Amino acid sequence: MKSLLRTFLAAALTLSVASGAFAAAASSKLVVAFLPKSKGNAYFISCKAGAEKAAKELGVELLFDGPTDSNAAKQNEIVENWITLGVDVIAVAAENKEGISTALRKAQRAGIKVVTYDADAMPDARSFFVNQATPEGIGHALMDDAARLLNGEGDFAMIVATLTAANQREWQKHIEARLKEKYPKMKLVAVRPCDDLKDKAQSEATAMMSANPNLKLIMAICSPGVPGAAEAVKQAGKTGKVKVIGLGLPNENRRYVHEGVTDTVILWNTGDLGYLTIHAGVALAKGDLKPGAKSFKAGSLGSFAVQGDNILLGKPFAFNKGNIDQFNF
Amino acid sequence: MLLLYVLIAEWLFFYFAGTTVNRRGVTVGFGTLDRQFDILRHSCEIGLLALALTPVIITAGIDLSVGSLLGLCAILFGKFWHDGGLPIPIAATLALGCGALGGALNAALITALRLPPLIVTLGTYSLFRGLAEAITRGSVTYTNFPEGFLFIGQERWLGLPAQAWLFFAVAIGVWVLVHRMTFGRSFRAIGFSPEGARYAGLPVDRHIALAYILAGLIAALAAIIYTARLGQAKADAGTGYELFAITAVVLGGTSIFGGRGSVTGTLLGVAAIAVLKSGLASLPVVMRMNAAEEMSGVLTGALLLLALTAGVLPRLWSQRRARHAAVPKTLPTS
Repeated sequence: MKSLLRTFLAAALTLSVASGAFAAAASSKLVVAFLPKSKGNAYFISCKAGAEKAAKELGVELLFDGPTDSNAAKQNEIVENWITLGVDVIAVAAENKEGISTALRKAQRAGIKVVTYDADAMPDARSFFVNQATPEGIGHALMDDAARLLNGEGDFAMIVATLTAANQREWQKHIEARLKEKYPKMKLVAVRPCDDLKDKAQSEATAMMSANPNLKLIMAICSPGVPGAAEAVKQAGKTGKVKVIGLGLPNENRRYVHEGVTDTVILWNTGDLGYLTIHAGVALAKGDLKPGAKSFKAGSLGSFAVQGDNILLGKPFAFNKGNIDQFNF
Repeated sequence: MLLLYVLIAEWLFFYFAGTTVNRRGVTVGFGTLDRQFDILRHSCEIGLLALALTPVIITAGIDLSVGSLLGLCAILFGKFWHDGGLPIPIAATLALGCGALGGALNAALITALRLPPLIVTLGTYSLFRGLAEAITRGSVTYTNFPEGFLFIGQERWLGLPAQAWLFFAVAIGVWVLVHRMTFGRSFRAIGFSPEGARYAGLPVDRHIALAYILAGLIAALAAIIYTARLGQAKADAGTGYELFAITAVVLGGTSIFGGRGSVTGTLLGVAAIAVLKSGLASLPVVMRMNAAEEMSGVLTGALLLLALTAGVLPRLWSQRRARHAAVPKTLPTS
């Protein structure tokens, strides 16, 4: 037993010298830790690509870790680990607003700068939230794109997740305001819920087309709604006659975009989101970004507006036939 | 004893390999007192479940439902407090009662209907989690708990993380039960041979029931500590914890076939897993690979398999030696 113990100790000491060398080499750089909701999620992997680009440009070390599933408890444990590792900046997409804030406040007390992106924590637990899209930005982008496709004239219908969900109501409000203000010759003939189900979106879209023979466009503002509506249009043989646009992810719409059923999928550029987040975190740590700033310049992406403690990523991004293959999430 | 050496070696290794001085000249990583407290803090819930499972496994039973029961009790606690408007202590007491009830359901099915514990608790594993999800419809999260309550999970009391005191109290309680009371001998007798224990006049069913009810009660306490640590009660609380807890118990030398086991072994098992997990996360090399969680999974598994192998090898060797020694004698000499 004694010799076993001695072997253990010898192995432990040898390995420690080896890893000690690794650690010493890295500690001269600013360390930025980037936490996604879950690290296998393609959405966050594409955010990470932008974050890595920014880290390289700024000469900082980037740590990327997260739960393998969306797990609030694991997010806290990872942040607490980063605190004792003494990183300089922590950037978080919060799985649970309240839960993560406990750990983030602790990080701030330890002198670590905290920014959030994608999903915010409590305002007192971070300095800035990198806001990927305002409801107004999303509403205007969708309505403007619909008007562009129809040349500002004709009937269109909407598919929403539910008639009550807060974010859906908010987007719908801005879409209708834009319609009223800028496109008097366009008419919203129906708004139907799909309960966040692709099948239901498909049957609703089919029903909409038979009830409104003059329908020119379907706009879906929940992500399962876009491929659902596209499938309905395709099966009805109305490809090109009834256009489809909406808010969604490139991967689940790629096929329909290439087939010409769906014209545009609106979201934000996730790579830019990661890039801007890292730039904001590093500027905060270096003292270049302070509370109360009105704008913020992030490397090659240029200047971004700051509203209160929100850094706005700005206009949503339109995925279409020309660029959709550059994105994988 | 071997496990104690493994734990010390593990700790020393991470102490030297996982502690560094950062850019600002501050010592950071595994060797800091804060990190040690975090390890203790993070292992309280799984540690409690492992303590809960030790008597159960000694009776040759198993309880797969403790992690789900943790989730259910966390939700019920949140509901009593938030929707029911009850003060925290009453909500907590009710949640503990619900935990004991959940344990009693397991106990009733196992003792009265003589169903195998593995199957019964596999059923309640889904049932409890399902109830937690149904109550919250998968989306409600209870938050905004008062400061005084969060203290239990997030602050220090008398120098240690506050919940550690509760954990130690339960550890001492279970230790006394298993090692200093007739219950403990009875658990071992039941695990060794339930029929034998019955013929010996032991109240087998009552003692088995006690083990499962106690497990439910401790799972509810873990739920309250979990809620206080994270400041939220959500239906996914404690998902997968039962497997970590079983690993810790078995690593600690408790036989999965029952009849043998110790509470100190379980505590060492919990510590060995927690130190491994936290230590790996503080190694710069592992961090740069972004693979702390995956590596701790691999190494926990490897550690368990090694410990089990190390446990049976001496017996196998001695059997083999005995066989070899016996062979020549049985062969005809001519």
